[in-house]
Amino acid sequence: MLIQQLVNGLTLGAIYSLIALGYTLVYGILTMINFAHSEVLMLGAFMALGLAALLPAVFGTGLVGLAGMFVLSMAGAGLINVIIERFAYRPLRHISRLAPLISAIGVSIILQNGVFIWISTQSLRFPEPVAIDQVNVLGATISSLQIIILAAALLLMGILHFFVEHTKLGKAMRACSDDIQTAGLMGINPDYIIALTFFVGGALGGAAGVLYGMNYGSIKYNLGFLPGAKAFTAAVLGGIGNIRGAVLGGFILGFLEVLASGYIPNGAQWRDVIAFTVLIIVLLVRPSGLLGEKIAEKV
Amino acid sequence: MTFRKALAVAAVALAAAACGPKEKAIKIAVAVPLTGDMGTEGQGLRRAVELAVEEANAAKRFPFKLVAAPYDDRADPKEAVNVANLITSDPNVIAVVGHYNSGCATPAAKVYARAPVAMVSPAATNPEVTAQQDSKDWMGPRVVFRVVPTDDVQGSYAAMFAAKKLGKKRMALLHDKSPYGQGLAEEFKKGFVAGGGKIVSEDGISVGDKDFKALLTKIKSDPSKPEGVYFGGLYTEAGLLLKQMRELGLKDPFAFISGDGSMTFGLFDVAGDAADGAYLSIVGVPADELPSAKKFVDDYKARFPNDERKPFDHFGYEAANIIMAAMERAGGPDRAKVIEELRKTKHEGVLGTTVFDGKGDTTSKIVTMTRAVAKKRAFDSVR
Repeated sequence: MLIQQLVNGLTLGAIYSLIALGYTLVYGILTMINFAHSEVLMLGAFMALGLAALLPAVFGTGLVGLAGMFVLSMAGAGLINVIIERFAYRPLRHISRLAPLISAIGVSIILQNGVFIWISTQSLRFPEPVAIDQVNVLGATISSLQIIILAAALLLMGILHFFVEHTKLGKAMRACSDDIQTAGLMGINPDYIIALTFFVGGALGGAAGVLYGMNYGSIKYNLGFLPGAKAFTAAVLGGIGNIRGAVLGGFILGFLEVLASGYIPNGAQWRDVIAFTVLIIVLLVRPSGLLGEKIAEKV
Repeated sequence: MTFRKALAVAAVALAAAACGPKEKAIKIAVAVPLTGDMGTEGQGLRRAVELAVEEANAAKRFPFKLVAAPYDDRADPKEAVNVANLITSDPNVIAVVGHYNSGCATPAAKVYARAPVAMVSPAATNPEVTAQQDSKDWMGPRVVFRVVPTDDVQGSYAAMFAAKKLGKKRMALLHDKSPYGQGLAEEFKKGFVAGGGKIVSEDGISVGDKDFKALLTKIKSDPSKPEGVYFGGLYTEAGLLLKQMRELGLKDPFAFISGDGSMTFGLFDVAGDAADGAYLSIVGVPADELPSAKKFVDDYKARFPNDERKPFDHFGYEAANIIMAAMERAGGPDRAKVIEELRKTKHEGVLGTTVFDGKGDTTSKIVTMTRAVAKKRAFDSVR
């Protein structure tokens, strides 16, 4: 049973981590929480649903079609995030730190209700991407879907790591995250880098949305809320603004939930209580989260 | 047109609309969820009541025009109370068909009692909906009626079915902590234990939860080896449970049994093929199998050719007809007299003969067990 539960926790944690990365990237660069992120992930899932109906004609079914759907939904979600930044956050960037936060909540409500009104108020069936096979490993049942989700999430995290640590744009992102004004003086265009960060964060959120749809088989206009809140928690738990922290926090939260509902009597009711209690304890002991927020070195 | 101009035009149009002729028609309110997860069920009920009202108008049963006035409670108890206040403040509303959810019907009934306006529920099955009228602080007369049998009947029927028909001895219990879901699960437990069965575990989930893998893994590896799950709740969670059960390898003969809240076509949208083989009980008899509902089924199809008929629609149609019959006997649209006449109901209709007992519940206690067939998007009765 433990192995099965760990597998369940890994899948859940992988999705949380991907979403948490979006929160953390944006926070790292603007020190603001993009509360519309959960709607970006919801839109990613809806775009994938639309594409799933259109794409087989272009790419055929199977893994190519799946990858096409994935990449296009990611790009779409990234673009939406860039547009949100351009119209809802950038004009407010220099006013106060509170204004963009409120505006983010507004965007979130607009997007959620927009989908509610224009698309559907009900759960829509999300197509199964591949035939689901089950493999038995050490007594645990692992479905091919779980393997795909985990592999896709890890791959994306690997790409992000490479991008941030080993490319010139990644270096510029890190520079802006350290000190956006100085970076601007050094010939980096901060607006461009911020837009890029929103694109990357949104694309990861979109990917998480698609994985989410695949995992649960149905999507709905408000699907982003709960995982969004959980992933935000995960980002804070790991240390918001810290990429490794977001991944760590996501997996910790995934495992916590699974172990709570698996091993505590009537734990399914208590799992959110337990997860958030742990968060509060961590923050009381280590206010900057497990891996800590980067503190700019002042000379 | 500039924005300001457009605004001005809109304001004038609004003002004109507000001053238009007053609606003279007498209304039967349909207070159901019209949007959200239970929206399709509510829309079905709205259509059923509309059909009943249109038939009455066409037959000139009343010297005035009758309309079905839909109100959206969004399956949310708070919204249900708002809606109930709106309804009671409209003097043209003569009675209410609703609410769909027990969680909505219970608080809304208190508002109707204060008015008082009669409420005839076509779907709320928690015993508390009518039982609360016996409490000391009940303000107003008894106004609640319902044409569906209650959860104690449904839960104990499912328990008997699990023990006798399926031969199960150990079951795991799940519910969504709502008045409906928990009530149903508790009635199942009572019946199953009384029949010599054993409930090996009991867990609550939350409406809106998506991930039940951990919980199902626990049930799967329970050392006392449950032979099935009974779930008290609605179709979204039921569908996700089914899907994740199948992914974990919990398939036949491991049974999934649930109630009428899960028995709707939405289940197939959530669970897909995983819905196959799920046992779902429904109060009363499905309209397709009722000889007395033949005309209703045909008329519905003719009036709404593009809409799927929902499992509760014949109850909604019957509720509207019972209200209209009471209004006929009352000699006109008088709220208080309609309540009096509803008590004396002996209605021959789609559901056979409906008579209300002292609490306002129908005396009919029939429950049918069905089995989901994903390919047909249908629920076949199990005999």
